[in-house]
Parts: sequence; C-alpha cells; structure tokens
Amino acid sequence: MSVWQRIYEEINDPDFVILSAAQDTGGEAVAGPIFDAANATYIQVVDTDHVISSAFNFINVPSAAWIDEEGRIVRIDEGTYAQLHEIGNDEQSITFGTDVYSPALKDWVANGADSVHVQSAETVSSNIRQFTREHLQANAAFRLANLFRSHGHSEKAERYWEMARELHPESINYFRQNLTLSEEGSAGESFMKLRGEYISQGKDYYRPLDIDL
Amino acid sequence: MRANEFRNILMADAMMAYPHLRHPFEERPIHAQGSVTVLCAGRQVTLSDTGTGDGLLINPDDLSSINGFTLKPQGACFEDLCVPVTESLFVEQGERRWFDLTAFADLIGQPCVADTSARVWSFAEVPSRRDSMMNNAMAPAFKVTDRQGQVIELADLKGKKALIVTWSSW
Repeated sequence: MSVWQRIYEEINDPDFVILSAAQDTGGEAVAGPIFDAANATYIQVVDTDHVISSAFNFINVPSAAWIDEEGRIVRIDEGTYAQLHEIGNDEQSITFGTDVYSPALKDWVANGADSVHVQSAETVSSNIRQFTREHLQANAAFRLANLFRSHGHSEKAERYWEMARELHPESINYFRQNLTLSEEGSAGESFMKLRGEYISQGKDYYRPLDIDL
Repeated sequence: MRANEFRNILMADAMMAYPHLRHPFEERPIHAQGSVTVLCAGRQVTLSDTGTGDGLLINPDDLSSINGFTLKPQGACFEDLCVPVTESLFVEQGERRWFDLTAFADLIGQPCVADTSARVWSFAEVPSRRDSMMNNAMAPAFKVTDRQGQVIELADLKGKKALIVTWSSW
C-alpha cells in the first residue's frame, strides 16, 4: 500500500483518485494497520463482503479498473501490482508483480484518452469477465456468511462460505479468503495445490499485462 | 526454482493466516424474535412485519428501503428501470396485503439465498444493473463505506479519473 501512496503522491492530480478496497473478511483488524502503515491518503475501503470484486466481476487480487471522467472503463482486470516485489532471502527468493503498471497509470492520468495505455472499447469489453447467475448468487451467499460470522453463528457462516465457493469455483478471492482465516493461511498447501493446477493446465493466474512502455 | 522451494518461502513466513479471526464474535441474535433480516443492494434491513408463507412477504411500503424500488402505477421502479407488477405478486392474508419479494426477485432474475430457520434473506445484485458494463463498458454502480465512515458511490467519482483497485492482506 505504501507503493500506491507514493505513486498517488507522485501523480498529485486533484482530478485523479485511487479507491483501494481491501477484500478482507478479517476486516479493519487485518486491513487497517496496512493502510495506516502506508499513511494512505487515497480512498480506503475495508470491503469485507467483496463488493468491489463482485461489481466488476473480479476473481482475484490485486485487480483494478481505470475509469475515466465519464464513468467509462478504459482498462480492466489485470494483475495490478504497483511494482516488482521480491520476498525471501539471498538464498531463496521469488519475485512477483511488475514495474510497468504504474508508469502506464501515470501516462493515462497525464494524457487521458490520448494515452497509448487506454484500451479500445472492444478490448475493454472482451476483458470484462462474464458472469453467471451462480456468480451473483455466490456473492449473496458470501454476504450471508459474513452476517452470520459477525453475529457469532459459526456453523452457518461456514455453510454459506462453502456455498459461495461451490457456486463460483473460479473465484480465487473466495478460495483464498477462506484459507486466510485458517491455520494453513492463504499460501499454504491448499493454495499451492491450486497454483499447481493452474500451472499444469496452462492457465493464467492473472490475465497477462498488455503494456508496452 | 523448484516448487518445494517456492512453497517453503511462502510457508516459512506463515503467510496471511488469521485463524483467530475466523470466528471471533460472541453469538448474539441477528434480530428480535419474529423479525426478518434482508440483505440487498448493500443494505441490511430488519423487518418486524412480514406475512407467512414459503416466500418473503413484505409490507409493500418496505420495498423501497430494501432494494430501492418504488411501487408506482406503471410498476416497480428504480432509477430508469420499471418492471410491470401484476396482481400475482401480491398475497392477501386476512386483512393484510403483502408484496411477494421472492416472486419479484424471480421476475427480475435476481438470485437469492435464504436461511429460513434464521429468517435471513440475502438477495444478489439485479443482473440488469450490470447491463451498462457488459454492453457499453460503463463502470457498474457500487456503494461502499470508507474507513472514515463516508459512503462512496460511483457517482461521487464522476469528473475524475479513478483507479479502482482491490487487494487483500492475503
């Protein structure tokens, strides 16, 4: 989040906003300190019900949409990392993310519709993920689960979280959100199994970025 | 890097495991006995006056507070959408006249998940609300609350460029 804050300050345009939505059922206790550590001044939302992901048909985080002054989507649904990250140590490390996204974002804020990174309406439309009745119902089940959780009805919360998973099995958000609140965490054995399936099936965990700088 | 090494790096940090937050809340009632809670359009509404039956029968006056629709002579209307309402959506019980919200949801293709034993109904988004995004790549309407308690809607961003970005602690 601190990287997004730096980018936001570098852009420093009163007609540009970042709405950053933490898809975290753990709520303020989990997401709040991360926002605070970044000294974030953009719009910060702790989105326990995954409202933003549901509205834009996102299935993974981080994902994003660029919306112009008229409310038109000009870019959507990519692995939206603010920079290249490296975790681990000198002996073992992995990198993830990209350094090309934020320069593209800055170019769009500066040049608007003339930016080469604004996608055609046709491309945007093809990048908007299709949704089904079951996907909508999954979010209703997820919201129901969160209501039960917040009132201490754990068995029912588990039941409807599972229903959401079954109704929208492609959603990595529901899958990993559930793991986050388990002993194994979001990057444990279950996640590694899922990731292995993606790799073996040649599927993209994120839609590849189509950005040339 | 081998898969095991990748896994070890991730698991060594016990990444993003918050089991203590799975169910941290004391059990308490969702609503008073006999009431109904409805989740819809980002709202949570408690109703103390509902009909009896398989579906959710509501006082017609409560419709607007639940999903924003208003009953008018031309139908149930929300913004530029008006859905004709037939008599079949109304149920007479004694001297009361109820509006069948579940039948209305079926009519507009709005999925729903109900826990009838807890008397809680969760309605999904109305599919037609996404038409402008699916057909014309216009951003979908949304309503969220920021950390300062301010409600933020898509309309609030008009006139500005906006990056809407999701992330998570995980």
